Amino acid sequence: MGWPFIQPQQFVGDESYQPKCPQTGDDILTDSEATDSEATDSEATESQPVDQGLDLTPEPVPAPATGRASRWSARNTIIVSVLVAVLAFLVFQALSNARVFFYNVDEAIELRDELGETSFRMQGNVVSEDGVDEVGALLFTVGFGGETANIRHTGDEPSDLFELGQSVVVEGHWDGDAFVSSQILVKHSEEYVEDNPDRFDPDSDDNE
Amino acid sequence: MIEATQTQTGPVGTGSSGSRRLGGLAIVALAILLVFGLVISPPDVVQGESVRLFYLHVPVILVAYTGFFFTMVGSIMYLKTNSVFWDLLAGAAGEIAVLFCAFGLFTGAMWGKPTWGVYWQWDARLTSTTVMFVMYIGYLAVRHLELPPEVRRRRAAVLGIVSILNVIVVHYSVTWWRGMHQGRTLGLDPQIEGASMMFSFFMGSVAFFLTAGWLLLHRFRVSWLVHQVDQEGLALAITERRAEGEGEGLAGSVS
Repeated sequence: MGWPFIQPQQFVGDESYQPKCPQTGDDILTDSEATDSEATDSEATESQPVDQGLDLTPEPVPAPATGRASRWSARNTIIVSVLVAVLAFLVFQALSNARVFFYNVDEAIELRDELGETSFRMQGNVVSEDGVDEVGALLFTVGFGGETANIRHTGDEPSDLFELGQSVVVEGHWDGDAFVSSQILVKHSEEYVEDNPDRFDPDSDDNE
Repeated sequence: MIEATQTQTGPVGTGSSGSRRLGGLAIVALAILLVFGLVISPPDVVQGESVRLFYLHVPVILVAYTGFFFTMVGSIMYLKTNSVFWDLLAGAAGEIAVLFCAFGLFTGAMWGKPTWGVYWQWDARLTSTTVMFVMYIGYLAVRHLELPPEVRRRRAAVLGIVSILNVIVVHYSVTWWRGMHQGRTLGLDPQIEGASMMFSFFMGSVAFFLTAGWLLLHRFRVSWLVHQVDQEGLALAITERRAEGEGEGLAGSVS
């Protein structure tokens, strides 16, 4: 795209580079330094050799003593792979346990005795809405896999999506034959359909 | 372009004619998205107006996935070629992707409240997305460890490659496990009925990919400039050390 990618400047031997000392304003580099590109040559050809007799050839720098190999070895790869595999296995096991999320209505009914009073989540479709009871708890029935369960909901109002036929997840516990729920989550599907007033609906009563 | 001083050697900003054109396109795309997403497209039969968050939430997550993929590619190429370019690309892509992932989690929460009834649930997809988000924040942290540059870059590259597994888990989480989050809408047979909805989603993707591309371009260039400054600083320090060596040898030496 034409954006200039700049390269690191080669300052030594770069004649255009003339830095100045911020305090005195003098040139940091002397003239002979700026124009001499054979500065590493330690042979003195004048009374004042450029490098003052200093040996400026780079010394081999010893590797830092870190106490362990800094290269990534095959052994490290194996260790990391094993750790990742174990972690993945554990996570998979944890998430595969349906108790982590919900039981379907038929499964929950099967496990009713086992579950007792413990709190869990149950999923089903709203089969009927049965109004409200004396204390104001919402009553409705959910079904899944051929089984139905009566729900007595004492928690917050569900969202606007709650209606007949919708899939819901209720959280609560068994109380005899009924299920007492403290939370209703409405589970919508992955389908998206435009709510178009002109759309032909074969089930509608408005068809001419 | 301001006048270069004797010591200034590069551009003063990260903009270029290309990046400005990209930015302009992104703005136009976002404007079209706003119009279609908020006004022209109709509500959903089930979700009503809440469905409009779909045009934000899904594209933003797709951008995050793509960014994480770029991080993986950059990390692999860095380990192969040892060129800092790839490391900087991986880092920039990782940052943008983490940002978009956070935005995805946020828009998801906003969408969950009116539809599910709650802002958050620890279901498989939300949990795995959080894990992915945290792991990539870890990746960004590793990039700032106090280590010799090559060691640090190599470790970050390894983490950048391994972390891509998260993306696979997140993507298949709705298939492999039970949960609240709905299944896959966009497969070979997209579950979207309605041209306006389809187009709004398409515009969302276009707009956010363009925006992310623009952000990536600038973020990479900033990283590149920082790297160049570090290199210049090093070369300058070497020169000054040599000059000090000279100064001591001259008669009437400088202080």
